Amino acid sequence: MSHGDTIPLHQSSQSDIDEIENLIHASVQSSSATVLPARPPSPPRASIPISTSPSPSPFISSNLPPLPPSNQKVPSVPSAPPPPPLPSSSSSSRVAPTGFGPAPNTLTEPVWDTVKRDLSRIVSNLKLVVFPNPYREDPGKALRDWDLWGPFFFIVFLGLALSWSASVKKSEVFAVAFALLAAGAVILTLNVLLLGGHIIFFQSLSLLGYCLFPLDVGAIVCMLKDNVILKVIVVSVTLAWSSWAAYPFMSSAVNPRRKALALYPVFLMYVSVGFLIIAID
Amino acid sequence: MDIKLRCVGLTGTEGFEQQPANGWKGMFNILSYTQYFDVDTDVVVNRLISSLYPNAGDFFSKIDANPDLYGLIWISTTLVFVLASFGNCATYLMEKHTDKTTSWSFDVNYMNVAAGSIYGYAIVVPLAFYFLLQYLGSKPSLVQFWCLWGYSFFVFVLASFLLLIPVEILRWIIIILAGAASACFVAFNLKSHIEGRADLSLTVVAAFLLQMALAIFIKSKH
Repeated sequence: MSHGDTIPLHQSSQSDIDEIENLIHASVQSSSATVLPARPPSPPRASIPISTSPSPSPFISSNLPPLPPSNQKVPSVPSAPPPPPLPSSSSSSRVAPTGFGPAPNTLTEPVWDTVKRDLSRIVSNLKLVVFPNPYREDPGKALRDWDLWGPFFFIVFLGLALSWSASVKKSEVFAVAFALLAAGAVILTLNVLLLGGHIIFFQSLSLLGYCLFPLDVGAIVCMLKDNVILKVIVVSVTLAWSSWAAYPFMSSAVNPRRKALALYPVFLMYVSVGFLIIAID
Repeated sequence: MDIKLRCVGLTGTEGFEQQPANGWKGMFNILSYTQYFDVDTDVVVNRLISSLYPNAGDFFSKIDANPDLYGLIWISTTLVFVLASFGNCATYLMEKHTDKTTSWSFDVNYMNVAAGSIYGYAIVVPLAFYFLLQYLGSKPSLVQFWCLWGYSFFVFVLASFLLLIPVEILRWIIIILAGAASACFVAFNLKSHIEGRADLSLTVVAAFLLQMALAIFIKSKH
């Protein structure tokens, strides 16, 4: 923050910064009255047991790279002591204007609340993406509320399930599966962009990751029961489900004359993952 | 202006924000490549079908206005996947044919070998021909060469499905036919590209032989 600067501020800049501070104070105080925002920047103070919970998503609300490492020990403290007014403010002032509405005071809530919030977001995105209901009120909700935790869990889980199923070369199998899925999602998005489609990069990564959920279920079933015919049936069903879930997002992003060009690579990726699931012995 | 810069400074160190649609570095680079992907589904299908007819040497005239790299990337990716998966299947079927007791074993290494060889061939060989022809005085276009070689892989994709049949002699026939078709496709089109200059005909023969070599390699990987 600017108060640690050695460069003296111009007069008008100082007054503008004070104005901004006042606005931030007003918004923080209007949302929660428990924290008194303080001016100094947050130095790493390992001794203070703040009940801050670094929200597991690095991309969204609490973008807090300089958080002190004491936060990692916090999850063992179940209930928060009343937070001292010192280092939380400069971070909370940056939490507020991130575009996700008026920010709840995410730094002072218990860890379980944050985890629960992210989990509920994952579940709601999952429901919207994988079980699309044509009569739902707000079709664009999943697109706006995208996150990358869900896809990350699903990709890693699929890699792990394949790796457990394999009898030899387990780490190679995991590496191939993970690389295939991660690179595949990136390349599919680039493909849509190159074909002249309109899609937001991370939104598309998020959606493609969520559409992996049926294949995850298929991988679990195949891991438990090792019959080839059953595997083929289960994988075909889940593959069809995944493709059906991914179809509306991909096809609406490009020119209708190029729909097949954008959808074929998606299909190819899911088929190759499905083949991996069947073929792992 | 100072205020705006300060505001950016306050929020700019936060790290990731939501990726805007017109990204800072993304859009400029993407835009310069979209010209190579400016094809519709029917155009791509048309080019795929025409790659199956080796004797008409008019591929270059078809793609002249609008060469595309979509074919190269996705046909070679399909070929990699098909090789890796059917290579495993065919190995299993062959061993089952001769020795009834073998069980399925999945070798992930197939994927790496297939990917490396196909992508390497698809990128390096047209590049080499481009430089060679440029050195010898013709005026080639690199994107068109990549397009040509990319579509020439389509026959191999179709042949790979047929190569699952575990009869050895049939597999050899299939691969020779497919290799010949693909190699003729490349050779005839290259010949029509160099417009009858006799001294460059050696390059045509070289292209033919390289494609046959790729076919043999695909057979050995199966």
